[in-house]
Amino acid sequence: MAVSVTDLRLKFPGEKAFVFKDVSLSVPAGEKVLLLGPSGCGKSTLLQVLGGLIPAVIDVPLKYADIRKPRSCGYVFQDPDTQFCMPYVDEELAFVLENRQVAREDMVPRMREALGRVGLDLEELHTPIERLSLGMKQRLALASVLLLEPEVLLLDEPSALLDPEGRQQIWEAVRGVSAGRTVLIVEHRIEEIVNWVDRIVLFAPDGSILADGKPAEIFTAYRRTLQENGIWYPGVWEDYIRHRDTWNSGLVQSPQQGADLAAPVLSLRGFVGLRGDAPAIMVEEAEVYAGDFVAVVGPNGAGKSSLLLSLMQLLPTAGSYVLEGRLLKGRGRKRTCPSDRIGFVFQNPEFQFVAQTVLEETAFSLHMQGGMSRAEVERKAEDCLKTFHLHGLENRHPYQLSTGQKRRLSVATAAVRRQAVLLLDEPTFGQDARNAFAILEYCEALRRSGTAIVMVTHEREIAELAATQVWEIQGGSLTAIKSGRRRLEGEGAASDAQEEVSG
Amino acid sequence: MNSSTMQMDRPKGLKLSDLLVTILLSLVIGVVYHFWGSVNDLFKPLFFQADELMYGMWFLASTLAALLIRKPGVALLAEVAAAHVEILFGSEWGLQLAIYGVAQGLAAELIFALFRYRKFSMGVAALAGMASGLGSFLVDVYYGYVTDYSTWMIVLKYVMRLISSAVLAGYLAYALTKALEATGVTQLLRPVTAKDYEALDHD
Amino acid sequence: MNRFLTPSRHTWLHRANPSLKLAVLIMLFIVTIQTRSIDFAVYQAAVYIALLFLLSGYPAWKVGLLVLSFSLVFVSSSLTMILFGKGDHVWWQWGLFRVSEESFYRGLHLGFRAIAFAAEGLLFVMTTPSVKLFYSLMQNFRLPPKFAYSFMASIRLLSIVWEEFLIRRQALRIRGVRTGRGPSGLLQHVRLYAVPLLSQSIRRAHRVAVAMEAKQFSGSGRRTYYYPSAFSRYDGLAVLMFVIALTAAYYAAAAVPWFGIEDVRYHGQG
Ligand SMILES: Nc1ncnc2c1ncn2[C@@H]1O[C@H](COP(=O)(O)OP(=O)(O)OP(=O)(O)O)[C@@H](O)[C@H]1O
Ligand SMILES: Nc1ncnc2c1ncn2[C@@H]1O[C@H](COP(=O)(O)OP(=O)(O)OP(=O)(O)O)[C@@H](O)[C@H]1O
Ligand SMILES: [Mg+2]
Ligand SMILES: [Mg+2]
Repeated sequence: MAVSVTDLRLKFPGEKAFVFKDVSLSVPAGEKVLLLGPSGCGKSTLLQVLGGLIPAVIDVPLKYADIRKPRSCGYVFQDPDTQFCMPYVDEELAFVLENRQVAREDMVPRMREALGRVGLDLEELHTPIERLSLGMKQRLALASVLLLEPEVLLLDEPSALLDPEGRQQIWEAVRGVSAGRTVLIVEHRIEEIVNWVDRIVLFAPDGSILADGKPAEIFTAYRRTLQENGIWYPGVWEDYIRHRDTWNSGLVQSPQQGADLAAPVLSLRGFVGLRGDAPAIMVEEAEVYAGDFVAVVGPNGAGKSSLLLSLMQLLPTAGSYVLEGRLLKGRGRKRTCPSDRIGFVFQNPEFQFVAQTVLEETAFSLHMQGGMSRAEVERKAEDCLKTFHLHGLENRHPYQLSTGQKRRLSVATAAVRRQAVLLLDEPTFGQDARNAFAILEYCEALRRSGTAIVMVTHEREIAELAATQVWEIQGGSLTAIKSGRRRLEGEGAASDAQEEVSG
Repeated sequence: MNSSTMQMDRPKGLKLSDLLVTILLSLVIGVVYHFWGSVNDLFKPLFFQADELMYGMWFLASTLAALLIRKPGVALLAEVAAAHVEILFGSEWGLQLAIYGVAQGLAAELIFALFRYRKFSMGVAALAGMASGLGSFLVDVYYGYVTDYSTWMIVLKYVMRLISSAVLAGYLAYALTKALEATGVTQLLRPVTAKDYEALDHD
Repeated sequence: MNRFLTPSRHTWLHRANPSLKLAVLIMLFIVTIQTRSIDFAVYQAAVYIALLFLLSGYPAWKVGLLVLSFSLVFVSSSLTMILFGKGDHVWWQWGLFRVSEESFYRGLHLGFRAIAFAAEGLLFVMTTPSVKLFYSLMQNFRLPPKFAYSFMASIRLLSIVWEEFLIRRQALRIRGVRTGRGPSGLLQHVRLYAVPLLSQSIRRAHRVAVAMEAKQFSGSGRRTYYYPSAFSRYDGLAVLMFVIALTAAYYAAAAVPWFGIEDVRYHGQG
């Protein structure tokens, strides 16, 4: 056995529910295992226990009858922003090599090789890590794990933020290095690897193990279980489209009043967003109407996040930008945009949080809006938490959530306010199927009530299903605008929104 | 299942995370204080030596870190790290502050040690702050000849300093600790209690 | 963060080994502390300021600005002593203020010495990036990597904490918060920023610790170094130069005394 634990019990201090209650798992050396389960079931926690970070570095009460930890293991953490300890790419990789006492002359060639294997081609190794896009950071994380040459690889959703090509690349890299190694993978999007892993362990929402077996068996024998627990499986999108009502939790749709559908809510002309003095994103011409669902797609580092940040005026911008018929005046940093008309979900959910508990966090936006009593705000916030499957976590600090839960909370906080435009930066990453669909449905409902949705996504299916426009970003500019095919209803967006409002 | 007891007696020394948290906290406070210097200058014309009333801010880093992490060595480390920021920022007082840092940190550490690192109340923090004040006085005597001041001046200066130490390093540090505890962040710093382990045995 | 403090050119003093430089400067520092003669203090200050202009690698106007700010150091170090120090030969008295010959010279002495300290400190800071110092302490003086890396990581995290502060401001703006002006606005600022900033720093530091340990950082064992730190001929040069500078100051004080007071401390009956 390379790693194993018997009768693991684990509970965060002060919490009522166990994360694990008498769970046993053992993985023989050389096996490739996929851990599959709904968001918040404890997958990341389990990896940290197996790798020995809990309780050596992160103190969490736990006990077990027996545990076998690997001699050395390499982690790729779920959140790219949490895994670096040095400011520059080369220093970060060198840190690993220093720990392993690699001679200095060998360092740079080894770094280059590792970066090549994960498809992160940097001309200058001495690049600040903070200047990489999130997807690029995730690649760097994998590169540094490759340099560790560990006995066991623990990968916590390494592909969640990558573009489709990057996903291929990263799994190829993983395959390349995993010969003779034990590999434990947590992943929601599994198309690329289901046929490669030897074994799938299926977790229930309460952290217990539902099933354990070969991929083929799991996907045939446990299809219903997978559906009931909202877990991804090959073909889940088809099932979703076929049975939308069963996924759909019946959302309220109140049409927005007085939305002028003929004029664009947002129109850009010669619009440029700047990072430093260099343009990070250029848009020649683009328009968004009420009821539009814009999918922004493109490879990692293309400038998608920069586009949204520029639309929020969080980066200095130049060029014409008209929001709801009003031209935003000024240039560069001076220009601001009205936060009550345009909402935003950061790519990194933690950037969104301002309050100390989950409930406060949700209520915060509503309080800001004003005009509601305390009780009303609280009720609304509770409702919103239910929609995103966050109930029961009201008193938790936002940082004490699983990554998927954080993501949902960040979407929830931005979505409770009804704005004319809502910008979302990869809202579905790190989600199980149920929650990804819940977020999609919620956006769809908002769209139908007249809010324009602009969503950055690497999910091909979302772009195909829901988008009325697809914006392709490449190398820092908006290169193509295509009209979406929208398989959800199969009709044009603006017209269908019009019907809803007038009807 | 006897593993729970096995988990309890891990070494009590400073872990990497303790070091990092202590140092970063002190640096942040050091930076705040650095910019606070301008506030300090506002105080000056108010009445002579009024800047002494802000002096306790220097000791905030060490008492705050000690209240949060509750381990030996933290107070000293924090004070040295805070002084380090000043050097880093190219302050004119740079090198001298290193000496002050060591003396003040040692003094605070001594107080926490006297209470055997068991008691971390506001009173203990205030005492530790005042001890730091005393430590700085000793350095002043050697280095700034303060005993050559008129007697009333010595008394005024150091009484103000002690008061400010008690308030800022004692009360303020304690209040901040409470506020931080409310955010749940201290869960990362403090060892898990036996009670939390016992909770694992109940269903 | 401190672009102002990036040298425009590298002098040979930048290449000297940081720990060694630190050791030498601490020696000089001790000499300055032990100085009781006012003339020696004056000349030390002068010599080190001259070295600042020559070797810091900063344009003269920047060094000039910093040296100008020394006058503030001078005033705040000396004034209290001049006005309130003990002394028997009173020159001027008004209320509580009492300037005597002894207190005046003692004050001047304190002021010049403070300038000497400041110049010594800046000589070090302006020619040594902090991170290099810790690399060198670790490699040449066996500082445990656990401490060295904690300091280095924290120094770098500082800029991330600053970013986080900006992000928080953005988040608050996006979420529609507007703080008022005046005292109530200030209080609101403290509540919205101070505690979150501290708790964020704690979380951030903890995460970096986790990341470091996950990368098999042992904290004490043997390791290799990406940035080597070795001794070179510049070290000998640095030691030599500082010894010459100090000696020069000493003989200048003896040859051309301005005040001629050997020990400024109070010895009277008070
Ligand atoms: N510091 C904490 N305090 C209390 N509860 C926590 C803490 N951290 C995580 N949890 C809870 O523990 C459970 C397991 O979290 P974990 O991060 O392991 O989930 P996960 O399966 O990785 O989910 P995801 O797919 O969303 O990443 C979650 O319900 C989470 O809310
Ligand atoms: N803070 C920054 N400073 C300077 N350059 C940056 C910064 N953040 C990102 N960049 C650069 O800007 C470009 C666009 O980054 P952006 O984050 O917009 O990419 P993205 O399309 O959102 O990628 P991803 O899909 O990986 O999130 C990248 O080449 C990146 O290196
Ligand atoms: Mg997780
Ligand atoms: Mg992005």
